Amino acid sequence: MTRPRTRGADEIMRDVARKQVSRRGLMKGAAAAGLVLPTAGTPLSAIRSAAAAQDEPLGSALIGELEGPIVLVDAPRPENLKQAPMLDPLVEDGTLPPVEERVPLEPLVVQPVEGIGTYGGVLRRGFTGPGDDENGNRYNSGDKLIFWDYTGTEFRPALAKSWEFSDEDRVFTIHLREGHKWSDGEPFTADDFVFWYEDLYLNPDIVPVPSGTFAINGQQGRVEKVDDLTVSFVFEEPYPLFLTILGGTTFMGSGQMTSRGFHGGAYAPAHYLRQFLPKYTAQAELDQMATEENVEDWIALLRLKSQWYLNPDLPILGPWRCVSPINTPNWTMERNPFYYEVDPEGNQLPYLDGIQMTLAENLEVLNLRAIAGEYDLQERHTDIAKLPVFLENMEQGDYSVHLDPGSYGSDATLQVNHSYDGDPEVAQWLHNADFRRALSMGIDRDQLNETFWLGVGSPGSVAPDPSVPQSPGEEWRTMWATRDVEQANQLLDEIGLTEKDGDGFRVRSDGNGRLRLEIFAISGAFVPFPRIAQAIAQQWQEIGIQLDVSELERNLGMTRMRNNEHQLFMWANDGSELIYAFPRHALPVDPAEAMMGPLIATWFVTNGEEGMEPTEQAMLDAIDLYRSAGGQTTEEANATAQEIWKIIVDNVFSIGTVGVSPAVMGIRIVKNTMGNIPARQVNMQHARTPQSSHPATFFFRNGGGS
Amino acid sequence: MLSYLIRRVLFALFTCWAISVLAFIIIQLPPGDFVDAYISNLSASGSGISADQAEQLRAEYALDQPIWVQYARWMRLMAQGDLGMAMEWQRPVTEVIGDRLWLTMVVSFAAVVLTWIVALPIGIYSAVRPYSPLDYLFTLLGFLGLAIPSFLLGLLVLYFGFVYFNANIGGLFSPEYIDAPWSWAKLWDMMKHLPVPAVILGIASMAQAIRIMRANLLDELRKPYVVTARAKGLSEWRAIWKYPVRVALNPFASTIGYTLPYVVSGSIIVSLVLGLPTVGPLLLRSLIAQDMFLAGAIVLLLGVLTVIGTLVSDLLLMWIDPRIRVED
Repeated sequence: MTRPRTRGADEIMRDVARKQVSRRGLMKGAAAAGLVLPTAGTPLSAIRSAAAAQDEPLGSALIGELEGPIVLVDAPRPENLKQAPMLDPLVEDGTLPPVEERVPLEPLVVQPVEGIGTYGGVLRRGFTGPGDDENGNRYNSGDKLIFWDYTGTEFRPALAKSWEFSDEDRVFTIHLREGHKWSDGEPFTADDFVFWYEDLYLNPDIVPVPSGTFAINGQQGRVEKVDDLTVSFVFEEPYPLFLTILGGTTFMGSGQMTSRGFHGGAYAPAHYLRQFLPKYTAQAELDQMATEENVEDWIALLRLKSQWYLNPDLPILGPWRCVSPINTPNWTMERNPFYYEVDPEGNQLPYLDGIQMTLAENLEVLNLRAIAGEYDLQERHTDIAKLPVFLENMEQGDYSVHLDPGSYGSDATLQVNHSYDGDPEVAQWLHNADFRRALSMGIDRDQLNETFWLGVGSPGSVAPDPSVPQSPGEEWRTMWATRDVEQANQLLDEIGLTEKDGDGFRVRSDGNGRLRLEIFAISGAFVPFPRIAQAIAQQWQEIGIQLDVSELERNLGMTRMRNNEHQLFMWANDGSELIYAFPRHALPVDPAEAMMGPLIATWFVTNGEEGMEPTEQAMLDAIDLYRSAGGQTTEEANATAQEIWKIIVDNVFSIGTVGVSPAVMGIRIVKNTMGNIPARQVNMQHARTPQSSHPATFFFRNGGGS
Repeated sequence: MLSYLIRRVLFALFTCWAISVLAFIIIQLPPGDFVDAYISNLSASGSGISADQAEQLRAEYALDQPIWVQYARWMRLMAQGDLGMAMEWQRPVTEVIGDRLWLTMVVSFAAVVLTWIVALPIGIYSAVRPYSPLDYLFTLLGFLGLAIPSFLLGLLVLYFGFVYFNANIGGLFSPEYIDAPWSWAKLWDMMKHLPVPAVILGIASMAQAIRIMRANLLDELRKPYVVTARAKGLSEWRAIWKYPVRVALNPFASTIGYTLPYVVSGSIIVSLVLGLPTVGPLLLRSLIAQDMFLAGAIVLLLGVLTVIGTLVSDLLLMWIDPRIRVED
């Protein structure tokens, strides 16, 4: 497959200047197929032609063709397995078994996007500190049980080679790969699931509150070992949504390396972690170990030892294991010699020997280094506002720029607090659908798009991109979301906000002066929230609404938000394209982060015992629909999600501005020496971008030097 | 003399304790705690943990305890010579600071030495030849140095360095040496990176030092004892160096109180702009993360160093300027 050649920087700059950079519909056609089980055996050629069908004229050189590696489902293990040269001496001196014994009998065979790569080289990237573990987690998400294809819409095997539901969707069974080994060479079997369930998950000291994602209608599921390579998840009631839960970045589905030591992911290296449990080791010895590691007790010790980026000794299943931990200026990784992915010619993946992340003291330095071409591949922390500078320096830095639009609706959403109770007058209006519709129509999204997204975003509501299976459709992107000052004013007059003060702003109905709304806008995020909010405040003058922008430091803003102090909160609604795996930005149901109503989220999780019941019937309806999806098949649940979105959009539960853009983790700077890099990849949380492009297939064309 | 010393040391100890209480309170002042900051950070990077996991973390770091219990816990650790665990870094505070302390001291020390080497001769020259063309030139440059914020200078140097000399962006090492163990090549690499931050850090204080030196020396040179010395036929060189310069140095000695903590922290803003791996950015970062142990340790360290520095500068002044000894 030929990749579109990158054009000269000048040419692209001219296009940007002429605002010709428009977006292409994301994955048209591919989405229509909906979610299909890989066991259905979509033939390779079909996927290829579906990809080719999207080959319409490119609207821009920067948003290329969506492409990615193909997982060859059920492909047999290639005859002659090969390994990276760096492993040869280790096999010769007996440190490692030969590659035939390291790769499972049924490996995951992946057809790279471009072709067979060559071994070697260390990928250079930047990271921002110990809190940036997701930077490496996403390169190591090959350790999820079930994953997605490169479009992020269809399930593909990962650790589990296949799966099925039985007993009317009460039992979900996965099949492991024979001969699959941990990074230390120990076998990976059903016992690792039993250990996780019995010794970690069921121990309230370790997992204090059982996960809601491992329960249907409040009843917890359990893990049963069928044989060494077969594990069943058994539920009291039908739980077909569990497949989506495993596909998402959830407690159950995230995989070991993304679970941050909270012991999610449904399996754990029993042979290694046992030594940190009181059940297997004397308490005195554990206390001794805890003291040596400077942690409080054995629980903290276990958590520390379960985080791959802090503990290089932890056996893992992803493509790279940690060498130098994340709390040092150089976070480095090297290949896992037991990784279970191979290319069709039998080369064990990954091609890259390792990854080196250098600590950047701040985002400006990181972006400057990217501009200077000091990174081989960087899509994280790159700033859309610097796009012109990135393009200008492409030749000098010997890199190219790829844009990967996200699939969620709005990068800068005005999240409305539906449980706001600080000012009864303001609360009354915020909880009025017509008021919110008027606010939404008072926003000039095209102007915002040109100013802050350099024209590469898509103006619209909060609904996700029409190409994703849960999208209610194209028309819901624009409902109540195009500028119409006249209708907005009319709506505001109709609901009784007719009085205006001398400056033309509407006044409160209780006679206490001007109606002032306040929005919390956090500085230093991927998108310049405070400046966008200021622009909206200007635009709202025309509908007579005064908006005060409170620019807050991130933690201060988030803490005040959790305390229910905000009226409006500006944030991206990322993750909402797969609503059941990450609902928090679409509905107020997750108390960990409920910008749309912290008290409603508490009400939801306590089954109405605490918190506040939503005042609007539409919100109750949407939450009921959300609750009902657990017992539905993937197709039914997607249809339900569309209904939920229709309610959200029609009632403008939150106000979308511009989204489906590359602003968040979608400005990809790629050194020209790199191969198997998709022209465009999906940018989705559940697809663990760039894991959807299988980083294990990335390689250096020049054999590893940079 | 001895009783004066004891009195000063006791007072210094009390000040240190007061600093520890203040540091702790100030760090706790903003709403939220380390776990809140951690969650906010995760949210900003498109992921998150559940509310239950947050509670679990809070218990693990004892953040669910009342503030005085947390302070007592911190003091108990301190008493054992343990600065605690940096929450964000998951490493002992001593290690986290230790990594950077050495480099910070190298950079800051280079800046201080550079300041003095340049500022003293120029200041003396300007005082001895006031209102000469060169004096005007140095005055102009000095005011420019004072007026230009050092972070702006840092940005300009970074930009021109990158555009015209293809220099590395920020940091103290080339990428290939960051990871490498210490060697002569790595040392040389650091020496090559050192002048830029040293000059930028030094330039503002350099300008200041020139002005102070010039003003003080001018005052001294007009005094009768200098006139007498000259009248008695003392060589110009000796007439200037023997006493006036020594007296004019007083303000420098008295700034050591601030120089010491500066050497350890580096300049926070300039270090951030230049991407230097020094203690300054670490402090800012720990405050944003509400990492109580790390921020507390750094603030306390800086406080203690200020106290020690003041003590040292008092003693130095006594040594340089006999008049102080006599008055005491």
